Amino acid sequence: MTLEMRGICKSFGANEVLKQVDFQIQGGEICALLGENGAGKSTLMNILGGVLSADQGTILIDEAPVQFHTPSDSLKAGVAFIHQELSLINDLAIFENMFINRELKKKSGLLDVGQMVTKTQEVFTRLDLDLDPRTMVRDLDASYKQIVEIARAMMMDASIIIMDEPTTALTDPEIERVFDMMRMLRRQGVGIIFISHKLREVMEVCDRYTVLRDGNMVASGSVSEVTTHDLARFMVGHDVRTESLRQSHEVGGEILRGEALSDGHNFRDVSFTVRAGEVLGVTGLLGDGRSELFQAIFGAAPYSGDLFVEGKPVKVTSTPQAIELGIGYVPRNRKENGIIKDMTILENGSIVTWPRLARLGIIDQARQRAEFDRQAAGLHIKYGRRSDLITSLSGGNQQKVVLAKWLSAGPKVLVLDNPTQGVDVGAKEEIYDIILRLAKEGVAVVVLSSEAQEIIRLCDRTLVMYHGIIQGELVGDAMNEQTIMHMATGGTAAGSDMVMEE
Amino acid sequence: MEKQTDLTVKHGAARRFVDQWKQNPLISTGLVLILMVIIQTAVMVAKADPNGNLALSLFNNWLNILRNNAPVGIIALGMTFVIISGGIDLGVGSTLVAVGAMVMMLIDGSATGLLAGMGITGVPAYFIGIVGGLLFGALLGELTGVLIAYGKLPPFIATLGTMKIFRSVTQQLMQHANPAVPKGFLNIANLRIGGFAVLPILYWLALAALLYLVSKRTTFGRHVYAIGSNVKTAKLSGINVRKVKRRIYALMGVLVAVAAIIQVSRIGSMDYASAGSGNEMDAIAAVIVGGTSMAGGKGSIIGTVLGMLIIGVMNNLLTLFGVPPFLREAFKGIIVIVAVLLQKKEADA
Repeated sequence: MTLEMRGICKSFGANEVLKQVDFQIQGGEICALLGENGAGKSTLMNILGGVLSADQGTILIDEAPVQFHTPSDSLKAGVAFIHQELSLINDLAIFENMFINRELKKKSGLLDVGQMVTKTQEVFTRLDLDLDPRTMVRDLDASYKQIVEIARAMMMDASIIIMDEPTTALTDPEIERVFDMMRMLRRQGVGIIFISHKLREVMEVCDRYTVLRDGNMVASGSVSEVTTHDLARFMVGHDVRTESLRQSHEVGGEILRGEALSDGHNFRDVSFTVRAGEVLGVTGLLGDGRSELFQAIFGAAPYSGDLFVEGKPVKVTSTPQAIELGIGYVPRNRKENGIIKDMTILENGSIVTWPRLARLGIIDQARQRAEFDRQAAGLHIKYGRRSDLITSLSGGNQQKVVLAKWLSAGPKVLVLDNPTQGVDVGAKEEIYDIILRLAKEGVAVVVLSSEAQEIIRLCDRTLVMYHGIIQGELVGDAMNEQTIMHMATGGTAAGSDMVMEE
Repeated sequence: MEKQTDLTVKHGAARRFVDQWKQNPLISTGLVLILMVIIQTAVMVAKADPNGNLALSLFNNWLNILRNNAPVGIIALGMTFVIISGGIDLGVGSTLVAVGAMVMMLIDGSATGLLAGMGITGVPAYFIGIVGGLLFGALLGELTGVLIAYGKLPPFIATLGTMKIFRSVTQQLMQHANPAVPKGFLNIANLRIGGFAVLPILYWLALAALLYLVSKRTTFGRHVYAIGSNVKTAKLSGINVRKVKRRIYALMGVLVAVAAIIQVSRIGSMDYASAGSGNEMDAIAAVIVGGTSMAGGKGSIIGTVLGMLIIGVMNNLLTLFGVPPFLREAFKGIIVIVAVLLQKKEADA
């Protein structure tokens, strides 16, 4: 079967997410759909999966136009969408998951378990899969869960399967297993749309690629004719690099050093140093482990390995201890980790310093206000009254309040995790200024970001992480989007003009 | 809501009041209480004996309400902290019995008394008894706190366990003991000041004032709110979540111990099977009627005091109206449900 999407447009309010996008796939091929976060991949696939409807454009199956209004419409037409968050229920057996919401029943109204198991087994046999349908989903590893999802799609006679970043949570052998399954489906004439950030995987398993950037289809073709470098360049485009904010300034002594840090799951064998007055970037794609690494360093999660603050070995086991050592951490996802929505602007901006502001446990209100006013003035926070709830502020100002609480703690090293997430352009530049000012004042700053632009403009030095390990280090002008993307997708730095570290 | 605002636009003061009202749900709680007191007073005036002293009987009636609700009111203060932190403590009634038994064993004036056996009697014995009771309450609370903070048990489960354990063990240990509470100890709750037995009321209000300050002005108090509102942010802001949780339940234990001491002193004895049973639900009811959110992060000590008073006055009204005793609990249930429904309305508006 041939599936074609022609001239697809979609806007959310004033935001044009897809601009005249063409996409096609045939049975028996695996097509990669590539693009940075926000490029429009998910929107396009949600239109194909019947989750969203297009503003303009047509979908054709074997040259005949079709309309998908709901997910079941597209499923009926043979398009199955396997979402990143799998929709399996852990506490049910495989066969029950295969038939969820369309269970087979006997005349008596009871479930026809035998029939469901047999039908499941038939699909497994067709897929050459050695798996007992009665196994509980909970007992499957992540790759088999993917495979069960695929089997479910096959049972519903899907001819096109959309797989949204299926390998993110998988280990290498598990990835191979899923790839084997994909190749098997290809032989059976099924078309697979493979959404992934990992370019090496794309090279390994895909036949064709389509790249989206800012809602435009910018490139497509046969995978055998391109390299991962090409794909990375298509993804980020040729945009002129906006002016760098790096300035030459004195870098002081070592503040924080990690040696062979691991948590056995999210990050492994990570070593790094950051010095006073330096802005160190840490970047990578989803699942690279950078947030988990620095949350562990901040005492919010366990780790193994050695950590040194100003050369002295420390073992951080709690967040108050980390603060005492002079480590600060501005978390990602402000809403969940950064603010306390039931508390006022003043309290959100000073919570870290309460122990210092208190005598006999009683918080000195006057000092709390004075300290906050000082930070608010320095950060240009715009607010009504200090006693208003934090949620009354815009995203940018909320983020500045979160920064205020950390600046008032006076850390020696400040880790900022996605510091400009969900703030507008103006506030973004202001936050960059604050970060650079901190570095100038001699604070060791670590910026975790998935935005290559942010890293390049802001940081003196960058570590690129891939699946929990440091893939390499880039210094100064060696930092550019292509190289970062290349390394973040698992490529090594060899052959490029960059500085490598073990 | 909009219509109301339109009407009040012209009157600055009225508008400010409406604004305040929307921001501070305590105002409506207070208004409900005032309304109930007016009804109660009206009923008493209507029913008054023309020969009696109306003012005195009104005053006495009020003291009775306050005094009867003081022990649970004190427990409710601690329950406020527990619920604001996102927890619950079902074990308070059983803790009360355990502490009560401990205090009675300590101060027992007869030969079997622990302190009397060592030759300590009178005020020193009472003092040790009280301190011992408070420490024991703190210990039991601490134990609960450790289960929740370090054992990572859901508070509901942990305290369901302590509720069963504390009472059952107390009953077993006390089945042959028959401690006698010395007369002097009864003064702690029953001493009359100016002819009125007001001491339990004073303890309650003094603790309420103290804990109000703790909740608003201390690191501990603010940390409780932070944890209840967003435990992740709290942790990432350097709050030692486990320590704070432990302290919350220890504080709860101490307050239950105060209630236990008042109970022992008021009555001079304790029925280990029934004393304190239901206190946990009554305390939770007061906290909820007072506007504290079961989801955590929001609530206040003042609200809890008002909530307790609303329940107390309502009970009194039911008596005045001659509602059969079996039906009284139903009204308590109704008032909790209505209160939360109204609070939801307010939050949605």
